[in-house]
Amino acid sequence: MAAINGGHLVGKYLREVEKVDIVFGLSGGHIESILDGFTEYDIRTIDVRHEQAAAMMAHAWSVYTGRTGVCFVTAGPGFTNALTGIANAYLDNAPMVVLCGRHPLRDDLKGALQEINQIDMVKPVVKWAATCYDTRRIPEYLSIAFRQAVEGRPGPVFLELPPDILNITVEEAGVPMPVRPARRYTVHPDDSDLSAAADLINSARKPFFVGGTGVGFSVCGSCLAGFMEKTGMPFQLLNYGRGELPDKHPLSLTETGSIGLMTSIQQADVIVAAGLRFNWILQSGAIIPPSAKVVRIDIDPHEIDRNRMADVGLVGDVGSVLSQLTPLLNQRDHSGWIETLRAASSSLLDYEIRMRANPSDPIHPLRLVARIQEFAGEDALYIADGGDTVYFGITGFSSRHRAGVIGTASGLLGCLGTGIPFAMAAKLARPERKVILLNGDGSMGFNAMEFDTMVRHNIPIVCVVNNDCAWGMIKHSQELSLGKERLQCSELGLRHYEKMVEGLGGYGELVTSDDEIVPALERAVASGKPACINVITDPTVTSPATPLFYQSLKMDQ
Amino acid sequence: MRFSILLFVLYRILRRAARKNRAYGNYIGSIHSVRIMIKTEKGGRGRLFLFDRGTVTSRRGSGHAYDAAIVWADAGTAFRVMSSRSDEAAFLAAAAGKMKLDGMAFFAQWFNDGVKIAMPG
Repeated sequence: MAAINGGHLVGKYLREVEKVDIVFGLSGGHIESILDGFTEYDIRTIDVRHEQAAAMMAHAWSVYTGRTGVCFVTAGPGFTNALTGIANAYLDNAPMVVLCGRHPLRDDLKGALQEINQIDMVKPVVKWAATCYDTRRIPEYLSIAFRQAVEGRPGPVFLELPPDILNITVEEAGVPMPVRPARRYTVHPDDSDLSAAADLINSARKPFFVGGTGVGFSVCGSCLAGFMEKTGMPFQLLNYGRGELPDKHPLSLTETGSIGLMTSIQQADVIVAAGLRFNWILQSGAIIPPSAKVVRIDIDPHEIDRNRMADVGLVGDVGSVLSQLTPLLNQRDHSGWIETLRAASSSLLDYEIRMRANPSDPIHPLRLVARIQEFAGEDALYIADGGDTVYFGITGFSSRHRAGVIGTASGLLGCLGTGIPFAMAAKLARPERKVILLNGDGSMGFNAMEFDTMVRHNIPIVCVVNNDCAWGMIKHSQELSLGKERLQCSELGLRHYEKMVEGLGGYGELVTSDDEIVPALERAVASGKPACINVITDPTVTSPATPLFYQSLKMDQ
Repeated sequence: MRFSILLFVLYRILRRAARKNRAYGNYIGSIHSVRIMIKTEKGGRGRLFLFDRGTVTSRRGSGHAYDAAIVWADAGTAFRVMSSRSDEAAFLAAAAGKMKLDGMAFFAQWFNDGVKIAMPG
């Protein structure tokens, strides 16, 4: 009779049941038999230099592929290092399975190596957490984990696997695999709610649709297109919803950025918000005028009236709801309203439009983004990571692809350092595309050693550092609140990140003038290596995101 | 002329609100050195508003450096829209290309939101 150990059961389940062919992690003694299970079942491993990058890559994998990402980490510091990435996935509602080592059950309370209570630490930042105590139940636990990750509002789950079960051999025939992979169930709104929503939308004079991450994880591009084209309403897609329809769709106001978003919301009479939380970015709903009618679509019923009472709430997966709602809607044309919004946004963004169009010395970050866009075009995948850098990236880049432009640090955790792991996952998920990362010099520091991972695993992204020699958002915020003469811990100085990347085996260049930007990008792509173009930009420039950030922390006296 | 007088009156209202209106005092409270210009496109009329740690000061003219500017195509439109205190009127002026923002757009919005708090009634 064939025998199999617990670690191999993990590999077998992942490969045979969930069809997982790539996982992200970092090795460790406690999980050795899982690592060997990956070998046995031909699962590609991307081993990183810090576990937070592994969690962030698994999170990003789910964004770029629509499939649950898998991350593996060892016990103790492997676990604690991963926590930031797990928390980020939790606040971003990203489905992810974290497989984690644990000190032996046999040695509980004996002062075992890396003995800490991981479950209690991780519980507040996952949907589900468990320890498996029986080798034969490993597939069952994994099946629960994968289901929990995708059912309802998605999110990360955590499964702890001690050596007492991983390193035990059992009879393979005695451990059957579940018959099918995890699947997602949908719920649907009542007919009366659908009808009420249709009445509001059909009678709107100035409607506006804003979609968020729930649109992206619903993978609902075709029914979203049907809804938009029938209602004729303008829209913006945010967060992981970005790109579910192309940025240049005729009804898209993506090019008007956050200024256009605020203007559209403030002037609309009916707002349809789908898969989007009314969080601090939208001033917790306060930005929506009291007179506007709100139709809210969300998979989580608790979200419907959160921060702003909805006039109609439609609970369900965004794609499923839209496919039910669209047949109830009238064919409409709001082209006059859209033209007015575009024209107003253009006047309000006059300064940014001029900065993009004209060279400057030092380089303005908006101009840098415009030059990168000119080089890489609508076919690339763009990622922006940092503070002000995220604003410049998500307002300036444009892509025709799903998740084509992502501001990784603009989520609720505001988690800097996510850009490099996201760019790596993007390139692995869609190797045929150029992947361009615009990284602030501050945020670059968190995961810069992952250029070593890129070299070892041949992941040729291009990282453009928007280098203002500072934690720019913090620095400019301190200028507003403390004064320029009292800056503290916010300046970094000029550092040659391009040389660091060269030292790790990648390609690097320093750029200081406008005419050097595109040729440097061409050489970076031609090198075929992971590349860093370190661009020195104007340190005095502040994005509108900085005063928004400053205002959000200001307390009335 | 009416536009210049409006800007001067606005300055007096903001200066008084900074001292007497607690909500407005909190609003502009701790912010260091923000300069807002309101002017006509050709620069014939304008006024700079300076906010620094709860105080409001002002300078006449359009030639001063600023962090953000609200630029009106002409003084007549500026007077009509600003005196209407209507968000929709300002939006429609922007859509018609009669009002543009220069510099940090957020500060212009911050300024306008502050005016709403400072205005009596």
